[in-house]
Amino acid sequence: MKDLNEMSQTDQESAVDVLKMQARGVDVFYGAGGRTGSAAGMAADLAADKNVTHAIKGVDVDIADKTVTAFIGPSGCGKSTFLRVLNRMNDTIEGCRVTGKVTLEGEDIYDPNVDPVQLRAKVGMVFQKPNPFPKSIFDNVAYGPRIHGLSSNKADLADIVERSLRRAAIWNEVKDRLDAPGTGLSGGQQQRLCIARAVATSPEVLLMDEPCSSLDPIATAQVEELIDDLRSRYSVVIVTHSMQQAARVSQKTAFFHLGNLVEFGDTDKIFTNPSDPRTESYITGRIG
Amino acid sequence: MLSILTAIVVLGGLGFFLGRQRAIASAGGDARILHSLPVYYGTNVALLTVVPAVLVLGVWLIVQPMVIAGAAIDLIPEQGVTQAGSRDLVMSDVRRLADGINTGVERGAFTAAEAASLDTATTDIRAVLADVGVALGTDVEPAILAAAQRSRQMSDTASTWMQVIVLGLAVAGLTYAWLRTNKDLRARNTVERAILGLLITASTLAILTTVGIVLSMVWESANFFQLYRWQDFFFGLEWRPSFEGGSELGLIPLLWGTIYISLIALLVAVPIGLFAAIYMAEYASRRVRSVAKPLIEVLAGIPTIVYGLFALITVGPLLRDYFAAPLGLGTSSSSVMTAGIVMGIMLIPFVSSLSDDIINAVPQSLRDGSYGLGATQSETVKQVVLPAALPGIVGAILLAASRAIGETMIVVLGAGAAARLDLNPFEAMTTVTVKIVGQLTGDTDFSSPEALVAFALGLTLFAITLCLNIFALVIVRKYREQYE
Amino acid sequence: MSDVTQKAPKRSLFAPDARTQKRNRAEKRFQYYGMAAVGVGIFALIVLLTSILGSGLSSFRQTYISFPVDLLAERIDPEGNRNPAEMAAVTTFGYMPLLAMSFQAHLEAEGIEHEMGARELAAMLSDDAPAQIRDRVLANPDLVGTTIDVQILVGGRIDGFFKGRVTMASAERDRNVSPAQLVLAQVLADRGDVVTRFNWDFITAPDASGQRPEAAGLGVAIIGSFYMMLVVLALAPPIGVAASIYLEEFAAKNRFTDLIEVNISNLAAVPSIVFGILGLAVFINFMEFNQSSPLVGGLVLTLMTLPTIIITTRASLRAVPPSIRQAALGLGASRMQSVFHHVLPLAMPGILTGTIIGLAQALGETAPLLLIGMVAFVREYPDLMSTHSNSFPLMGDGATALPVQVYSWTQRADPAFVERASGAIIVLLVFLVVMNAIAILLRRRFERRW
Repeated sequence: MKDLNEMSQTDQESAVDVLKMQARGVDVFYGAGGRTGSAAGMAADLAADKNVTHAIKGVDVDIADKTVTAFIGPSGCGKSTFLRVLNRMNDTIEGCRVTGKVTLEGEDIYDPNVDPVQLRAKVGMVFQKPNPFPKSIFDNVAYGPRIHGLSSNKADLADIVERSLRRAAIWNEVKDRLDAPGTGLSGGQQQRLCIARAVATSPEVLLMDEPCSSLDPIATAQVEELIDDLRSRYSVVIVTHSMQQAARVSQKTAFFHLGNLVEFGDTDKIFTNPSDPRTESYITGRIG
Repeated sequence: MLSILTAIVVLGGLGFFLGRQRAIASAGGDARILHSLPVYYGTNVALLTVVPAVLVLGVWLIVQPMVIAGAAIDLIPEQGVTQAGSRDLVMSDVRRLADGINTGVERGAFTAAEAASLDTATTDIRAVLADVGVALGTDVEPAILAAAQRSRQMSDTASTWMQVIVLGLAVAGLTYAWLRTNKDLRARNTVERAILGLLITASTLAILTTVGIVLSMVWESANFFQLYRWQDFFFGLEWRPSFEGGSELGLIPLLWGTIYISLIALLVAVPIGLFAAIYMAEYASRRVRSVAKPLIEVLAGIPTIVYGLFALITVGPLLRDYFAAPLGLGTSSSSVMTAGIVMGIMLIPFVSSLSDDIINAVPQSLRDGSYGLGATQSETVKQVVLPAALPGIVGAILLAASRAIGETMIVVLGAGAAARLDLNPFEAMTTVTVKIVGQLTGDTDFSSPEALVAFALGLTLFAITLCLNIFALVIVRKYREQYE
Repeated sequence: MSDVTQKAPKRSLFAPDARTQKRNRAEKRFQYYGMAAVGVGIFALIVLLTSILGSGLSSFRQTYISFPVDLLAERIDPEGNRNPAEMAAVTTFGYMPLLAMSFQAHLEAEGIEHEMGARELAAMLSDDAPAQIRDRVLANPDLVGTTIDVQILVGGRIDGFFKGRVTMASAERDRNVSPAQLVLAQVLADRGDVVTRFNWDFITAPDASGQRPEAAGLGVAIIGSFYMMLVVLALAPPIGVAASIYLEEFAAKNRFTDLIEVNISNLAAVPSIVFGILGLAVFINFMEFNQSSPLVGGLVLTLMTLPTIIITTRASLRAVPPSIRQAALGLGASRMQSVFHHVLPLAMPGILTGTIIGLAQALGETAPLLLIGMVAFVREYPDLMSTHSNSFPLMGDGATALPVQVYSWTQRADPAFVERASGAIIVLLVFLVVMNAIAILLRRRFERRW
């Protein structure tokens, strides 16, 4: 493990190709009610139903390990929805159905035998608006390890909390007031606290849904720097509104438009030489 | 009374038409150059006609009996007052006699002239009045008769003056407003100010009601504490009223019953209500919710007398036959348990709908944050949602407690009437509200401590629930602001 | 460098560990608690309703007996000139022997065997039956001297026998009924002389004394409740709406309006019995209105209902978007005009719904009415205009109210009154269901989403 980490730091380009998650032919429908059925048949059925919103249409994406993958696209294009497909957060929305195949290290995460609770421990998530629990800073970070039973004793837990806060680059700011409520922090600090909270369960993939959209430029810069750091350990997927941000932090970029994945590839290529005219229009600001 | 009101209203109606007409005339028949619509001019005149007259009429009607009573009581010797017990009692005798004589005149027992010269020595007034259907409690004393005669005479004069003044005021108002009416008068503004005044008056009624409640209870409680030591009331351990005097009127056993029953009610209602609210808010599908939620809320729409009867005919006998009697805990069907359980059922929808609102007010982002970390739904509810909603839920429980403490019909029919300091929940006990009903129902003598104690009980009840309500409202309001 | 991930060994998603399984079981358990809680609530509702319906439905049916009655002229019209005024001097006690004799004669004529004395036989008939015959005779003096076929009430215990409340075994122990009476009643029932049928009198007749539950009805109580609802309807909505308009549309945020707000929310939660004390002290002791008059009851209920109406009205006023107000103001309307011409009509459905809900609440309220004397035993139907000269001219006559009638009946010794009380509750619930149904319909029909 240690060797792998060192290697990834010295030679990031080679690590990019280690496949972490894979999505094939993913469709997402809203307003499907309690309908069930065979996966293939259901997708066709739902797609034909006028009352059902077809939010994601046949998307294929590969998420590589130790890479930042950015999802970009205009509002309502389905990028956030697709992000929530990756840790089955859509399960909590009534009437939402996902078809197709999504794997994490080769295992189908939509298999009926998979417990979404276990999955989400491996695929953590950070949300658009900082959402610290109304608890102390310590308890916020300790929440995940506690429910998953990751620590054997108190000292251990304190250790995990400190490490997570350090990793989220907020330790120095809060180390003296771990008992203060998390809601009392500034917006940027709250968001880094939420990242620390997500990191504390030692996930393999970290999903970030527009993590900077409610932050000011300085806080945004801090979080972006943090994302770049996190890449050394986790596979990070970030949804962003800002193309500059995607260009700054990501190695891979996926462009979504009207529920379709229009283009997916190396960030450099997407921003300099997009192959699809729609991507170009978006990047140059003509649609959006 | 009615005729004078009718006269005022008729004058008001007349004023409306006259005012409208004059306004239109002043504009030369062209309503467009008026400042306001013609209706407003009419209303303006009508208002000035009616409002001052009615106000004066109202004040007059309140003040007149007081003035007359003051004048009449002078005619009664000091010892007559002490004999009867109090000023109020004497005055009610005087008033009854005066009313009786008036009725007697109406029904032809004697002429108005005869009535004015009645004499206790020559006429048995009680018998004469009884003949025409007016019952007097005792024979008439000369002093009382004199007072009654003076009050009759004064109210005759006063009524005449009242009519003259009130009608004069109405006419004056009409004339003044009519004369002022011309096309430039800002009639709409005046009328709207009057309407605003009306709206403000309506909204101050809430304050007046509270003031009325507090004053009426404080007043009578003060009377009670003159007859009964307050220490004995607040700290007395015995409740044994007897109308022959020598009652023991201790609050503690009643308070204990109230608290014990409320506690059991909350033990039933809070877990069930809270879990029901959690289930509806977090788990139930829309279909289940659309059926279950209204069904549970039906429980809130059922009058408490229905719960009382339910306790009396179903729950009480059930508890007695299957729990109390086999366990050797008592043979009474009305018990703390009966009332507590039924009251608990009544409070379920109260707790659940308030908690449901409060749980729904917890932002979804907190839930998402928890799910995103791999928490199960119950872990999310227990560790994130409930702590976040805690202040609101505490407020809801306090409101429910205040309901339980003030609930009357369930305990009247389900808890029993025996004041007791006991721990056995299958024993009949009684509450503050039961005793308020008990002491004030039926024929009551409002000068005895046994009746007046009800006001002291009511004041205690009001004070307790007021504190709980305000405390709860403050908590809930704070909580709502936090997430808005 | 120690890494968090090192501590958690790699696990397949398909291999749930013990801890996760435990957590999932806890999750299921928690969910079952929730379902159980909802279930308990609904179960309580069902038990409550079945218990009331089960014991109350039978009060809508009553047992009657038919036989010919000889209206002997010398007994009921001693003067012999068929003058109702003079005949009224014969009280119901004069009619009782008439009925008893006719009943006995009827049994003999039909050859029905029994082993009872005249007194025991007469006890089978309701104490209220003579009054029914007397009313009929006084209304139509020509009946005197003739034989009429009547259908009259039987006693409460005999009625209970046909409803299963009284059995042969319980009759053995009961002073008020004997097995022999029940046997005869069964024989007559088999012949068709005794029938149990729908009983309108339960809804229309006035209350009856504690000895004759079979004759007790809800007439006075329903009229009393109706009058009180009229008072509430006339006072509460106008005042409530006026207060809401002021608070929502005109009031500035200051100490005074804050005070009003606190008062309103507190009054909504004050125990109802406190309003009873207020009514007793202010309306009866201070203003000297008649005890147990629907007017006082209505005033007390108005004060109680106001907070509910104000709260719902304000909510529906708030739901009217500000753009409507601005549009009206923009056309040169005054604020008052914009409120009365535009906002208020749009808020009307909500206000109506709130009013009906408030009325329904008031209809079921009992405790405050006990204190203002509505428990009194009243047999006279109250008039809209008072008949007593010294009371307020409107609704000053004594009356009871539906829920109070329930309470009074529960306080009586005869168990037949439990059936009556439950029956009264069914009537009350029917009114409430109708009112709430109207409220729901209104909401459905006029609900508007902005």
